[in-house]
Amino acid sequence: MSSSTREEVLRHLRTVAYLQPALHKQTHAPAPDEIDHSLYRAYTRPVHDVGGEADVPIRWEEKEEEQWELNTFATCECLAWRGVWNAEERRRRQNVDVGQTVYLGLPYYGRWLLTAARILVDKQYVTLSELSNKIEEVKKRYEQKSAR
Amino acid sequence: MSDHDHTHSHKPAPMVDEVSDFEILEMAVRELAIEKGLFSADDHRRWTEYVHTLGPLPAARLVAKAWLDPEYKKLCVADGVEASKAVGVNWVTSPPTQFGTPSDYCNLRVLEDTPKVKHVVVCTLCSCYPRPILGQSPEWYRTPNYRRRLVRWPRQVLAEFGLQLSPDVEIRVGDSNQKTRYIVMPVRPEGTEGWTEDQLAEIVTRDCLIGVAVPKPGVTSNAKRPVRKAIHPVHHDHDH
Amino acid sequence: MSKSQHDRTHHAKIATGIGDPQCFKGQAGTPKFKEGDRVRIKDLPDIFYTRTMTYTRGAVGTVAKLVYESPPAEDEAWDNTDKSEWFYSVVFKQKELWPEYADLYANDSLETEFSERWLEKA
Repeated sequence: MSSSTREEVLRHLRTVAYLQPALHKQTHAPAPDEIDHSLYRAYTRPVHDVGGEADVPIRWEEKEEEQWELNTFATCECLAWRGVWNAEERRRRQNVDVGQTVYLGLPYYGRWLLTAARILVDKQYVTLSELSNKIEEVKKRYEQKSAR
Repeated sequence: MSDHDHTHSHKPAPMVDEVSDFEILEMAVRELAIEKGLFSADDHRRWTEYVHTLGPLPAARLVAKAWLDPEYKKLCVADGVEASKAVGVNWVTSPPTQFGTPSDYCNLRVLEDTPKVKHVVVCTLCSCYPRPILGQSPEWYRTPNYRRRLVRWPRQVLAEFGLQLSPDVEIRVGDSNQKTRYIVMPVRPEGTEGWTEDQLAEIVTRDCLIGVAVPKPGVTSNAKRPVRKAIHPVHHDHDH
Repeated sequence: MSKSQHDRTHHAKIATGIGDPQCFKGQAGTPKFKEGDRVRIKDLPDIFYTRTMTYTRGAVGTVAKLVYESPPAEDEAWDNTDKSEWFYSVVFKQKELWPEYADLYANDSLETEFSERWLEKA
């Protein structure tokens, strides 16, 4: 019935508020009987679904865009333009698959970027070795620049 | 609950050649994608240039036109995609893809405010936004905070943006969770009688089109807010 | 080594000059609901992904508009786009969604979209 679903929905929203990333709070893969339905729902929920969770007033800010952020946006749209993925695949990976900690722990465009890197490997366009080598190559390029 | 007082405790800007992990990964991904033929360097440049053309002016003009022309206003409400053409935005063929932008689709809906109904827009799941007609979303629109709170405490959040409405006005929150993208068509304010389309468009700011502000004669920009500086901000000179 | 094959040309083929969701028009068949229908949002399993927010589940609203046909996001997110559903824009009273919402603001509402699978007659 509708009212018990609403109760569950509201209990879920309260429970999720307890499940925030916290550096000092540890879990070590509990036994199944330590996870009731509320916790199961909280852990397995798609993490982008934040509507209705409690939060406090903050100062609303604008932000200057980084060049790498604009580049990342263009990369993600070009990947979709040329058929590597569609935007919904991107959102699913970027806003849910990353998991709760990265979702709230890394910057907005940090997730876009990680997700773009990941799709290249997942769809076998590059191997992880190729990606790692390229990261190393780019790093070295900049180390050499600074050394000059 | 969370400490947001970090704007003033910024580390000094690094030297020109210092790059962040994000910048390194961004270059790596873009170079690999181009090397593997997934998209071309030209594609990437064209998309960046397309993004540089985007901003809130077409949406502001759409509202101004609608205020001046009741038939156009009806079209805006019935078919936002068709109405966009009159302000130079073709949701399908303006973007380089010729099938719309991958992230913004082709289903604009114009939400018409009345004296009794005020709309305001959020995407609780991510930050979906009508980029082809409004430009890039503001930082605050993307925050988990705005996305958590606007759907449940809209009057409180709007008050923080400086907007307080009478209890008999229905505040309708639009949560753009699927393929539709929204702009708000605010009520034409008093004191604009006889104004031209240009004069009217000037007071329809991005914040008015999201729904967190209402247009006022003499107010031609969004309310002043702190601006978080970038370490390596976007070049606006088109040769990146 | 096994390598997956991906057709990168598919979406451009069906949507160029047409747009998305326009490219799925006519594929969802007869809509189950119409404007004005009272609908309840089902609390279906949302394992791994959904775009139907938890805060709407079990709530009752009114269909305001049939907006388009499209593969549901749950399937589109894995590039499974063979089947489309009708999408509906549904309006809820805020008091229906939130127990603490003030009676003073009884007119306040919220509008959002659902694919047909998430709706049942209320």
